[in-house]
Amino acid sequence: MGDEVYSDLMRELKTGKYVFTGELEPEKAGDVNEPIEMARELKGMVVACNVTDNPQSFAYVNSMAASYLIQKEAGMECVYQLRCSDRNRMALLSDVLGAGALGLKNVLALAGDHVSLGDTPDAKPVFDLDSTTLIKLIRTMVDEGKDLGGNEIHNPPKLHVGGAAAPGAAHLKAEVGKVKRKINVGVEYLQTQVVYYTDVLDKFFDELGKVDVPILVGIFPARTFGQADFFDKYVAGVDVPPDYLEAMKKTKEIKDKEKKKEEVDRVNIEFFTGFLEHLKGTPAAGCHMMAVGYPRIIPPLKKLME
Amino acid sequence: MIAQEKKPIEEILGYLEGKKKVVVMGCGGCATFYHTGDTKAVNAMAETLTKEGKDVFKMPLPFSIQACDIEKSGVWLEKNRKELENRDAVLVLSCGDGVQVVTEYMDEKMEITKAVIPGNDALGLVGGGPKKFKETCQSCGMCELGKTAGICPLTSCGKGLMNGPCGGVREGDKCEIDEEKDCAWVKIYKRMEKLGEVEKFEQMLDPHEWSKMKRPRLFEIEEPIGMDVIGAMKGMMTVKFGPKPKLDE
Ligand code: SF4
Ligand code: SF4
Repeated sequence: MGDEVYSDLMRELKTGKYVFTGELEPEKAGDVNEPIEMARELKGMVVACNVTDNPQSFAYVNSMAASYLIQKEAGMECVYQLRCSDRNRMALLSDVLGAGALGLKNVLALAGDHVSLGDTPDAKPVFDLDSTTLIKLIRTMVDEGKDLGGNEIHNPPKLHVGGAAAPGAAHLKAEVGKVKRKINVGVEYLQTQVVYYTDVLDKFFDELGKVDVPILVGIFPARTFGQADFFDKYVAGVDVPPDYLEAMKKTKEIKDKEKKKEEVDRVNIEFFTGFLEHLKGTPAAGCHMMAVGYPRIIPPLKKLME
Repeated sequence: MIAQEKKPIEEILGYLEGKKKVVVMGCGGCATFYHTGDTKAVNAMAETLTKEGKDVFKMPLPFSIQACDIEKSGVWLEKNRKELENRDAVLVLSCGDGVQVVTEYMDEKMEITKAVIPGNDALGLVGGGPKKFKETCQSCGMCELGKTAGICPLTSCGKGLMNGPCGGVREGDKCEIDEEKDCAWVKIYKRMEKLGEVEKFEQMLDPHEWSKMKRPRLFEIEEPIGMDVIGAMKGMMTVKFGPKPKLDE
């Protein structure tokens, strides 16, 4: 791994500071005004924000374009999410060069969902590379200034590549084997899928053993019951605790908007107090807060980590 | 074998609109196996089309004579040259390969150009049986099975990942894309574990070389199999399916 540091995220990770990242979701729209607004609110709360790339294979604003605009307009550093889904290795290579040219500093290499799960299910599915080979491609581009075919890159891109891990995977040993593969090819940081259970997290860290790569644990404080319910029902490898779901469900009955907000915040803070307390005792290097559209919850949750 | 299923009759009738005199050609290979092009299927299709007011000529192929094996199926086409010349369309009850081989042969060798219509939808190379079949290979031209404990990552993994599993494995080790199917990468892990080579699982596999998938692929063999071999095969089958030889003889 090269020693150069290109991004604030990597700088914080290297200094051993406890790191917080956020998440922004471009939508099916002709602009990125909303994520830019959110990024403005999140400034100072997190060091960088992930910008999602067509999650669940629903086609939204291109994540590279969104990352660029968010960095430019809101001054928020972005983690440009890049999925292997729907791009062959040539398109991926070209996208990474584009990201470098636009001044993006972090990329998160993901396999991505299959098109059949999204809103264009008849599209021809493309999976040419996978998360591991994409990480390898990016490291080769950045460190050696070459592509997979060994062709020289003039003025190689300067960015850091991260990967994902799923602590709640149905088959943990196979998942950990794959995570180790990513580590073997030089992934620089890992962000995990959302975790709600401390024992899931502990089992994951136990199985993984000691590794040198910083790991940011994903948490998802839901802004509405619907968000929590969606995660529970549709996101593989994520179980939302029934008590938390129940408490979130109850907030639906509150008519007064302000009171509802207060109660939602209270439920989240109550639930995450225990979780974050536990997180402090794990090898995690930080916390990836996927509080999409819910920036006000981040300061009180961060406070719990102090 | 090439798995296949019958096309909806409405679609076939659409293609046959304005075409009165039709040949229904069968296939004695995979289409016979899947009952999509055997003699029964040819008869049934002929009956349906007759009811729809078509003038039908039936051309079933005997068992083991595949529509795609043109050296042999061509004999039947030549035998029926007169009929073919006088017809408006040929409906071929085989996979898409059979349909096109017949089209090309008629066009180029017989100089008879007719509308050729597919009767089936081909569903890929499958194995198994007698009732259930599974696609396990997509003939990629560069076999990876030696690296993946004998399970094809390109075909058995829903995303065709060379390095899995993805983050979406479901409860019971099922695939993210379809909960009826097993996650190929968990299966690869389990087989490697049994083979005592689980440490291999942590090594990255290189991206697959797709250069051998440059389509259409052309292929040549030195010694073609001829009609005499088919004859010999038939002889073998009689022995195989005939009365069992007594052990003490
Ligand atoms: S790698 Fe898979 S698709 Fe390719 S030849 Fe082997 S089994 Fe078939
Ligand atoms: S769940 Fe397993 S088989 Fe399905 S796409 Fe993911 S890795 Fe492939």
